[in-house]
Amino acid sequence: MLFTLAWRNIWRNTRRSLIILTSIVVGLAAMIFMEGLARGLMRQTLENQLGAHVAHIQIHKRGFNDNKVVQNFMVNSDSILSVLPQYGAIKTFSERTIAFGLLSSATNSSGVSIVGIRPSQEEKVTTIKRSLIEGRYLSGEPREIVLSKRLSESLNIGLGDRVVAMASALDGKIGSEVFRVVGIYHTSNSSFDKMHIFIPMQNAQEMLHAGSQTAEVAILAGSIDSVQTLKNNLEKKLGSDYEVLSFYDLVPSLVKQIEVTDQMMIVYYLIIGVAMIFGIINTMLMSVFERIHEFGVLKAMGMKESKLFSMVVIEAFLLGVVGTLTGTIIGISITLVLQKTGLNFASFAEGLSSWGFASIVYPLMDYSSVMTNVMVILFICILAAMYPAYRAVKLEPINAIRYV
Amino acid sequence: MELIKIENLEKVYQDNGVPVHALHTLSLNVNQGEFTAIAGPSGSGKTTLLNIIGALDKPTNGTVYFEGVNLLEKSKRELSSLRLHKLGFIFQAYNLIPVLTAMENIEFSMMLLGVSEKERRERAMKAMEELEIAELAHKRPNEMSGGQQQRVAVARAIVNNPPIVLADEPTANLDSVTAHNLIDIMEKMNEEKNITFIFSSHDRQILDHARRIVFLKDGHIEEDVHK
Ligand SMILES: Nc1ncnc2c1ncn2[C@@H]1O[C@H](COP(=O)(O)OP(=O)(O)OP(=O)(O)O)[C@@H](O)[C@H]1O
Ligand SMILES: [Mg+2]
Repeated sequence: MLFTLAWRNIWRNTRRSLIILTSIVVGLAAMIFMEGLARGLMRQTLENQLGAHVAHIQIHKRGFNDNKVVQNFMVNSDSILSVLPQYGAIKTFSERTIAFGLLSSATNSSGVSIVGIRPSQEEKVTTIKRSLIEGRYLSGEPREIVLSKRLSESLNIGLGDRVVAMASALDGKIGSEVFRVVGIYHTSNSSFDKMHIFIPMQNAQEMLHAGSQTAEVAILAGSIDSVQTLKNNLEKKLGSDYEVLSFYDLVPSLVKQIEVTDQMMIVYYLIIGVAMIFGIINTMLMSVFERIHEFGVLKAMGMKESKLFSMVVIEAFLLGVVGTLTGTIIGISITLVLQKTGLNFASFAEGLSSWGFASIVYPLMDYSSVMTNVMVILFICILAAMYPAYRAVKLEPINAIRYV
Repeated sequence: MELIKIENLEKVYQDNGVPVHALHTLSLNVNQGEFTAIAGPSGSGKTTLLNIIGALDKPTNGTVYFEGVNLLEKSKRELSSLRLHKLGFIFQAYNLIPVLTAMENIEFSMMLLGVSEKERRERAMKAMEELEIAELAHKRPNEMSGGQQQRVAVARAIVNNPPIVLADEPTANLDSVTAHNLIDIMEKMNEEKNITFIFSSHDRQILDHARRIVFLKDGHIEEDVHK
């Protein structure tokens, strides 16, 4: 009966209840959507970077990550390659050489990271092949090169043109080779694009006078959650001659960014939450003050303070239930629709892409955090009703009855 | 049996620092089953006296015994419980809960006592039949006339069978025919259920229904007439 009474009391002042309900609905829907957006943006950025090049785990000779020179190549990677198939957590892997050098066209040159790959391996680990916008991927033929749209523009070259790559070789001399552009790729990360060019492994090793040495093995795990365990296992197996780095080690700034974003969301929630608390306190106080006379009558009839208190709290709670239910439905619907269609930030895209963000963001629904938000808001409603309920309980019936 | 025993009651209000003697040297006994009216001009202390009997207000001096229990020694919580279990109230402005129907308003006072839903329904229905308002069961207060609302209020006050019902000017907002009918049903409840009624009024004709009239003037009893 208290619930019936509370429910009907809410609708005594429809306009006021609708206003506070709207603020709960909009607040929660915005929370759900913003969180989905941030989550989606971060996940996408991470996946793009890992997918384009970093992969989940990289194995190098110890010291290579800090000093990426040919002298730090792995002399014999066969021992590594032979153990990798034992690990079920590994989906696929690719071996690479890496050298910093210069790429020159007839008119211009640019500092680049020259990545030597075996196309059949590499295409399973990274998304570069799928990011091609002109031409084709490396075929296995010698002296082919794949580079980015952005780099081709600054070097003034196109498909079929020749470029010269130069880098310092194992013996200290300068190695160089001529390549023909067979493919041009484009990713959402402009700084990555400007730096990375891909050539056949064979040519890279010859150019660097590196024999059969390679720089790294990039590994893709079956699931992102198994990366840490896999890293630990590989470290134990391979010993101290090698460094096994997960993406947490390789792109710490990105991982940090995700953490910071989570913290920003908390601040954002706090602001919404505080605004909601005051909105509800205000609404409930108004509704209590309007009913002083009525509460006086209830107290005169001997209604227990605890019952009267619950009645006010239940009113706020029911407001919360209606508000969160509607807000959740709206928030989830918006997020799910945009999760399909994506949200186009094209107008900001240049700014975003230099940070490695994609211009179309796909929000990512996380139901468990929606549940948390709903619980928190219901709690807020109950909390915010405490003071108005206390005021109602503390009315002296005799004064309240006289009150008109 | 003596239900209420008031000795040397005094009530002083402070009105902006000025003491107002609402009641003084007032002594009064009320027995179970009485049908008593409190009469007197405006400002004579009728409401003050009823509020003190109803454990809504505390006297400045003097003692009030309810069924032999000294109300001055009771805590707020105990007084609230006493009102719930022993008292029924009828107000001048009816004061039904606006969002509840007549039936629900009557049930409400039983709900406060923890009566089961099924029993509440039955007893509310029975009370409404006795007061000839069964057809109002599903109407809300704003759909009823003043007289109808006040009948529902009577039903609400008596449905828990309290020993006493207090009514401060229950007929002041009603026309005279409706007012007489209301006093009639209060009298009927008094006779059938032996519920004590104390009501106040300044209407001579309404007062004539009472079997005892206590006349107040300037805060004390001027005349106590038993018929
Ligand atoms: N809360 C209060 N503060 C100050 N004075 C009060 C208060 N309540 C009542 N009084 C005064 O006490 C006296 C008695 O008031 P009371 O309301 O009991 O009279 P009443 O007989 O019920 O009058 P009415 O017929 O107008 O209802 C009056 O002089 C009134 O002004
Ligand atoms: Mg009065």
